Amino acid sequence: MSGRGASLLTRRRFIAGGIATVGAIGIPVAAFSQFFDVPFVPTPQVVVDEMLRLANVGPNDVVYDLGSGDGRIVITAARKFGARAVGVELDHHLLIQSEESARQANMESRVKFVQQDFFKTDFSEATVVTMYLLSPVMRRLRERMLQLKPGTRLVAHDFDFDDWRPDRKTTIRKNVFLWIVPAQVGGRWRVRTALPEGELAFDMELRQKYQELDGFARFDGQPGGLWEPVLDGERIRFAIVDARDRDNESTLYLDGRVTPGVMEGEGTRGVGNQQRRFKWRAVKSGEVPPLKAEKK
Amino acid sequence: MRRARQLAAATVLAVIGTLAIAASVPDIPTPYVPSTDLNVDEMLRLAEVQPGDVVYDLGSGDGRIVIAAVRDWGSERGVGVELDPKLVDGSRERARSEGVADRVSFQQGDVLKAPIADATVVTMYLLTPLVDRLKPRLISELKPGTRIVAHEYGFSDWKPDRHLQVSKNFYLYVVPVQVGGKWKLETALPAGAREYDVELAQRYQEVKGGARVAGGYLPAFEPRVSGDRIAFVLIDENVAYRFEGRASTLEMKGVVRWGTGAKQQQGTWRAVRATAVSEG
Repeated sequence: MSGRGASLLTRRRFIAGGIATVGAIGIPVAAFSQFFDVPFVPTPQVVVDEMLRLANVGPNDVVYDLGSGDGRIVITAARKFGARAVGVELDHHLLIQSEESARQANMESRVKFVQQDFFKTDFSEATVVTMYLLSPVMRRLRERMLQLKPGTRLVAHDFDFDDWRPDRKTTIRKNVFLWIVPAQVGGRWRVRTALPEGELAFDMELRQKYQELDGFARFDGQPGGLWEPVLDGERIRFAIVDARDRDNESTLYLDGRVTPGVMEGEGTRGVGNQQRRFKWRAVKSGEVPPLKAEKK
Repeated sequence: MRRARQLAAATVLAVIGTLAIAASVPDIPTPYVPSTDLNVDEMLRLAEVQPGDVVYDLGSGDGRIVIAAVRDWGSERGVGVELDPKLVDGSRERARSEGVADRVSFQQGDVLKAPIADATVVTMYLLTPLVDRLKPRLISELKPGTRIVAHEYGFSDWKPDRHLQVSKNFYLYVVPVQVGGKWKLETALPAGAREYDVELAQRYQEVKGGARVAGGYLPAFEPRVSGDRIAFVLIDENVAYRFEGRASTLEMKGVVRWGTGAKQQQGTWRAVRATAVSEG
């Protein structure tokens, strides 16, 4: 068995995906029951700590660990970070072991373990999802992750979501990745800004791929630049250069929150001691195709 | 087809020729192209200019950046360095009419020679060959933490700390403290007093390295230098120790933290240089 060690290391996490695949091609799941007997090699504690630290887990968070193994991420999230945490694990023995560890740590009231294939689990209440899964499983989860509440943090180690670039990456013995579920902002928008000297309205087109944005603005049909767009969960910011008057160009910096079909927030115009604040609101007016993926 | 290729070859040769001339004639004049007011705003915004800053503009043209830094951003002082005496005269005149003459000054001279050591912010809109020739001076004479903002043309081999694109490209570089070399680090950890032989290799703001301990080597994870600040993580006996502190070329000291969330604890650390500064 030792020759299989390297792949077995992550095999346990792969069970749910493996079974789903096997099910699809019609081989009886029971024939693969040896999957449940693979040796268990847990995530090192320093990496567990780093995953939860990178996600900035706190007492208001609900953490879901997909493939929770012996429960150490779930219990650490509750014990050291004060969160409520749920582990989803297929292996019955690991589940019992997790529940026992939770009892010993006096964390039973804050943690829960569910014996289930996590592809069937409803984790929409999660504010943080942690994973240690192989790339094919990560890729299959990606679309579901994008449906979570904007701002939900996803943390994984070693394996990533392929062309969805992590918002942050750190290396503490292992590579740890953080993604923040982005709001959906791709489309055409009508933006109204309440500038001190009167309302300024313009049209804006945003193309989106995950958290990456590109776009432009149009003032009464004249093109205007849209620069430095940043999407951070449900928060968006960008700069608009208003160049209608060539001799008196100005830049508007807009910062706001996204809800379905509407964005609103505060902006600034001018810089230094010339800076003026204003309110803005945008309403979605149409769809556009997504941004083409950049080559890795 | 062949003609096209010949043309292309000729163009390439012409370009190489121009570059060769540019490289062999060090003082090709930098053309005077003023930054627009929008560009000026963006440069000073990227540098986060505030009261207390001393802003130097290298190649200050008509003085607009220096004047804006003092007038619009409240910087303590502004200094412009400009080769063209006519532009220097115009800048002084402009500073008087804007009412900031007491806080700005303009030096007629070569940007490669002007004293710059008291700057906390340096702005420039120069061509890359000149920017590169300024680099050794900027790194050795400016204090760590000084912000350098380049408009459109950055250093050819120094990766910016930030790159901003608003109509034009703007690059921010923070002058890093020089920490490359060997250090003796002492700290008191839960297990007792600990001494590490730390070795760091540095290239601009990028550092890597680790610590030698009895019987092994601990790689430094997430090593970072920004201005005079340094941070890295050592994992010793399965505990991650997060070192953070301030550095000079001779000494570093700060706080080390371990544990996470509610269980976090901290101590202090200090390191002294064991060898001369070395480049990575």
